[in-house]
Amino acid sequence: MAMASPPIEILLVEDNPADVRLTLEALKDAKVANRLHVARDGVEAIRALKDPGSATPRPDLILLDLNLPRKDGREVLKEIRQDEALRHIPVVILSTSQAEQDIVQSYRLGANAFVTKPAEIDQFFQVVQSLEQFWLAVAKLARP
Amino acid sequence: MVVESLPTGVVMVDRAGTIVLVNRETERLFGYRREELVGRSIELLVPGRLRSGRDLSGVRKDGSDIPLEIGLNPVDAEEGSFLLASVIDIGSGKRAEEELRRSNEELERFAYVASHDLQEPLRTVSSYVQLLSRRYRGQLDADAVDFIDFAVGGVRRMQQLIEDLLAFSRVGTRGAPLVPTDLQAAFEHTLASLHAALDESQATVTADPLPTVVADAGQLAQLLTNLIGNALKFHGADPPRAHVGAERSGRMWTISVQDNGIGIAPEYFERIFVIFQRLHAREEYAGTGVGLAICKKIVERHGGRIWVDSAPGRGARFSFTLPAATE
Repeated sequence: MAMASPPIEILLVEDNPADVRLTLEALKDAKVANRLHVARDGVEAIRALKDPGSATPRPDLILLDLNLPRKDGREVLKEIRQDEALRHIPVVILSTSQAEQDIVQSYRLGANAFVTKPAEIDQFFQVVQSLEQFWLAVAKLARP
Repeated sequence: MVVESLPTGVVMVDRAGTIVLVNRETERLFGYRREELVGRSIELLVPGRLRSGRDLSGVRKDGSDIPLEIGLNPVDAEEGSFLLASVIDIGSGKRAEEELRRSNEELERFAYVASHDLQEPLRTVSSYVQLLSRRYRGQLDADAVDFIDFAVGGVRRMQQLIEDLLAFSRVGTRGAPLVPTDLQAAFEHTLASLHAALDESQATVTADPLPTVVADAGQLAQLLTNLIGNALKFHGADPPRAHVGAERSGRMWTISVQDNGIGIAPEYFERIFVIFQRLHAREEYAGTGVGLAICKKIVERHGGRIWVDSAPGRGARFSFTLPAATE
């Protein structure tokens, strides 16, 4: 008998509450048990990841917006990739940007995927579901 | 003396550079009375330190600089040889040009930033209205469904307007250098990108042999795409036909796109090139009224001009000029 695995922990770094809720709604129908934690800016994200007293468990997947208050997504990504304890965590950039330069820079900094947030809700739901399908079901995540 | 009333500043100096004569316009330009100038060195008006290369500056009595164009004519008289200088203030034209350039740049920057920042709240409105419809489908009556459709339609239109405005602003801010570019290749590229529309409308598009012009290849393709796209869009009862012609006149090529579509009345020949101007209801022809404004901006960036010849029901011919790549 297979043991039920613990739920997948996802950290969403996003400053727009409307987008946070939308992602939450899209993940509600997910087939894989998951818990979404939210950081509202880059500073909060780094604290959630590095602070030993943080209430947020170490995530299995990070969804990261690029343009954030205080510390932007590029800096957060750079810090994650420089940290021995965090660098294995897949980071998916979820941004409104379609700029070539943002895409290239994100991959150079070690992003695992770059996804542009679609304007149409059906597509947005599809995107979140395919992220879920790939990262939570298809891919095997490192859970050291 | 006729020199006195010339609209150009005239200054005569002797071989030592001493002013011997000035006219009224010179007094006005520099703010001195002639008694203050005659007998003084030309250094007073045009100091050597300001004479660099082609850009020449003078100094007014109040100390302010004045950009000048100076023409020199040697004059040999019995008293010896003199230099007769005609002096033109080029500052006013140059300043206006500079201000225009700066305000255009600011406008483009504003359009770019505003477009990005405007898209985000719009996306939120559209997402949540659609979420309402998705989540409560079956519980809503027909009115509620209509209202949601109108709201979503409004948002889509706004998104399109912003995107088009962004494309318009990019003509100025994101342009590539103007280099010799094969118009034939741009034309073929355009046909490939319009493939679906061509198939759907059963259109025939032909072209003369096309020349090499000095252009930004991306913008050239955009120009042709917009014009040929319009030829397909505004078609009459017959399947659309379009022909791209090329004719050389001096250093410019005149390129034309002739169609067999619904045509345009002459009173609208200017207006169609103005951004957001449309001649049709949205239900008849979709669009935001930006396409031809972009065409105009592209052509003008290349130093050419664009115009239309047409009559209602008689098709339209859009023509534009571009600099030839070879003399």
